[in-house]
Amino acid sequence: MLTLDTLRVRYGPLEALHGVTLTIEPGVTAVLGRNGAGKSTLLRAIAGYLRPSSGRILWQGSDLTRAPIGRRAAAGLMLIPDNGGVFRTLTVRENLELFAAGTDLAPAFEAFPDLDTLSRRRAALLSGGEQQMLALSRALLAPWRLLLVDELSHGLAPALAARLYTVLTRLAAAHPGRAVVLAEPHPRAALAPADRIHVLRRGELAGSGSPADFDAATL
Amino acid sequence: MFYAGLALNGLAIGCVAALAAVGLLATYRVTGVFNIAFGAIAVFCAYVMWQCVRVWRMPVSVSALLVLGIVAPGIGLVLERLVYRPLRRSGASGLLVATLGVLVLQLGLVFLLWGGRSYVDAPSLLPAGDVRLVGTLRLSNATIVELCVVALVAGLLTVLLKATRVGLMVRAVVDDRDLAEALVPADRLAAGGWAFGSFLAGLAGVLWAPIYHLDPYSLTLTVLETMGVAVLARLTSLPVAVGAALAIGVAQTELTAVHPAERWQGLVDAFHTNLFVLVLFAALMVVPRLGVRGSGAGGGVAGGLGGLQRPGARRTSRSDLVGRLPFGALSLVLTLPLFFDPADLRAALAVPALAVVFVSLVVATGYAGQISLGQAGYAGLGALFMAKLAEGGTPWLVALFLGPLLVVPIGWVTGYPAIHRRGLYLALTTFATAAVVARFVFAQPVFVGGLAIARPRGFTDDHWFYGLELACLVLALLLVRSLHTGPLGRALVALRDSEPAALSAGVDVRRLKVFVFACAAGLAGLGGALTTLAAQAFNPTDFDPVQGMVWFAAVAVWGVDSAMAAVVGAAALVAVDVGTVQGVSGLLIGVGAVLLGRFPGGISALVQRAGDWLGTPPRRSVGERRLSPAGRALAAQLRERRAE
Repeated sequence: MLTLDTLRVRYGPLEALHGVTLTIEPGVTAVLGRNGAGKSTLLRAIAGYLRPSSGRILWQGSDLTRAPIGRRAAAGLMLIPDNGGVFRTLTVRENLELFAAGTDLAPAFEAFPDLDTLSRRRAALLSGGEQQMLALSRALLAPWRLLLVDELSHGLAPALAARLYTVLTRLAAAHPGRAVVLAEPHPRAALAPADRIHVLRRGELAGSGSPADFDAATL
Repeated sequence: MFYAGLALNGLAIGCVAALAAVGLLATYRVTGVFNIAFGAIAVFCAYVMWQCVRVWRMPVSVSALLVLGIVAPGIGLVLERLVYRPLRRSGASGLLVATLGVLVLQLGLVFLLWGGRSYVDAPSLLPAGDVRLVGTLRLSNATIVELCVVALVAGLLTVLLKATRVGLMVRAVVDDRDLAEALVPADRLAAGGWAFGSFLAGLAGVLWAPIYHLDPYSLTLTVLETMGVAVLARLTSLPVAVGAALAIGVAQTELTAVHPAERWQGLVDAFHTNLFVLVLFAALMVVPRLGVRGSGAGGGVAGGLGGLQRPGARRTSRSDLVGRLPFGALSLVLTLPLFFDPADLRAALAVPALAVVFVSLVVATGYAGQISLGQAGYAGLGALFMAKLAEGGTPWLVALFLGPLLVVPIGWVTGYPAIHRRGLYLALTTFATAAVVARFVFAQPVFVGGLAIARPRGFTDDHWFYGLELACLVLALLLVRSLHTGPLGRALVALRDSEPAALSAGVDVRRLKVFVFACAAGLAGLGGALTTLAAQAFNPTDFDPVQGMVWFAAVAVWGVDSAMAAVVGAAALVAVDVGTVQGVSGLLIGVGAVLLGRFPGGISALVQRAGDWLGTPPRRSVGERRLSPAGRALAAQLRERRAE
């Protein structure tokens, strides 16, 4: 579906991705790596928030390397960042209405009943976990074909992270033709649902394989 | 006592203020930027309208359509595309400097195109005549129309933002443009917001011009003063803003009927003519926190000087140009005017004085990270104290240093309440301080009437005085350097990078900030005193609050963390002002400030980067690298193996 061709991204004088080449197929892909390995950079470059200094991004045959964020979103790419995935000055309901773009809000309330009771509260006043639920609701409400999830468990208690992963796994299972990419520094949560693993190390692709090939201790 | 007739007059004044306040808030709500340049856009549109009707002889309705339908929204679209879109990820400070830049730029344009002349025959859109209410009470039609416009804009905007999907999308774009870009057509919405905001500015300008006369400064200042109303409304509530504006307008006229004892009359007069300034000042002291995206929480980089400084630049050691001292070259250039002919030397006298003021801005903003738009006030106070001391019998040379020293406690007192503020809030507070000082001190004959200014004995000659100025500048630079190095310098860098981190590392943040702010105020006072001595007269216009904004923008353009760049900047500003017509310097500073988002750190950072680039040794390939004997042997082996 998505092909990255020797993608390089730099922040000023610092190059964060040194030419990463990989393909992402339908199903769940986990991108693992330590802090600073380039996971977030990779996802942000795919979603269009960072402009690669060289290399190409091909999405279902069309070149998206220079496309603005809006066009990528229209093509079905959706990034849920590790924080800041919600509009902080808007209420929960307003956030959901923006995400849903006119469709029904029920799927979000079904998956996260807490959001229903909080619907009139400003997103800035939600706890970190509640904000992540709200951010993940976007994937439940709007259509997507490639979902990029950056550190879903970022700063969350293990129980809550597990709950979010359950919702995500169910969502992925319901749409087998779509692709989900999870970026995680902590392999435990992401390994279970993953069909395929890519490991980044210091801005380079250190290896790819199936979860069975992967030894969590080596990360 | 309450006089109904006066109240109706006050309503007219209040209407104008309400229109400005609604415009400011509406722009803030739909773009997320507190547009200080609102007044400048209004002035520009009013001048274009005047040009259309009075010079090109177009009908009023056609020109109104042209100005409000094309020119004003067009300005908004251009600003959005060229200025604010590239800046969307920089913090509150970057945006603030950009809006300041737009203000200075548009004023410069007005000066260039219309020579800064004021006109009294601005065409009026409003119907003449008035309506009789009860008895002799009359309300002019113009006021009625303005009230309707205010109510209409406020009502429409509230409904649009609260109840429609477009409104929701606009709020989303203002909240987080990056995130919104994936969900809604963010660029188009932001452009629309700016077009609407500029349209309101144009509307305000066109409606006001016939009421006040058409003048570049007065309208800009009117808007700046009505910011107090916007602050009272915490940048959010439109009804509060409208109500407050009308109430202040009425109170202002009611005060004209107050006649206390003779000796207090002057004070009461000052009160009623400057009520809006006072409200701005008081509101900033009282209102705890501004709006949604204000300057405190949220906003991300609001605390830092996003965009103003070169990211990642080291500051404690010798990275600053002061430390590196191309000092020799600069001091050589600065002594050159001593060999100029008398007229040019006289013009050059302004350079070291302005340089000292600029250096004070570097201290406040570059080192302590506090945006100060109020340096003009402290500069004027320094000059005033010096003159008063000399009047009391102190020798001029002593007064020259004692006067600015007296400004330090004033900087301490006025800085204290402002000190836990940041970004926009701090900028407004410092501006309000300067405005209050300008109106209640510099504009009052009680304080500034009959001041005789004489240069210190022995320095009356321009050459000698220029030498004295240079000595003061060197003194200022040495002081700055001592603030910049050692533990104090490190504490300042820590403070500027992250206040919470500095606090937890044991830096007494509040005291340090006030200390540096007070030092900067004292330095500005010295600069002001020198300015006054150079001109041998106290000109209140030298210390106009708008001047303070221009200075800040200039320093930001030259690089807010380099004292040396500030000195060069002062020289350049004076040179441009002397060498060209009025308006060119404003235009240049404006363009620079507007582009600051693209080259953070200003000109000094550009120069430094160019220097770094020139200074890096060309990369040598492995073969040429200097190697130890063992290394050379290894390299030879490698080459042999490759040859095989």
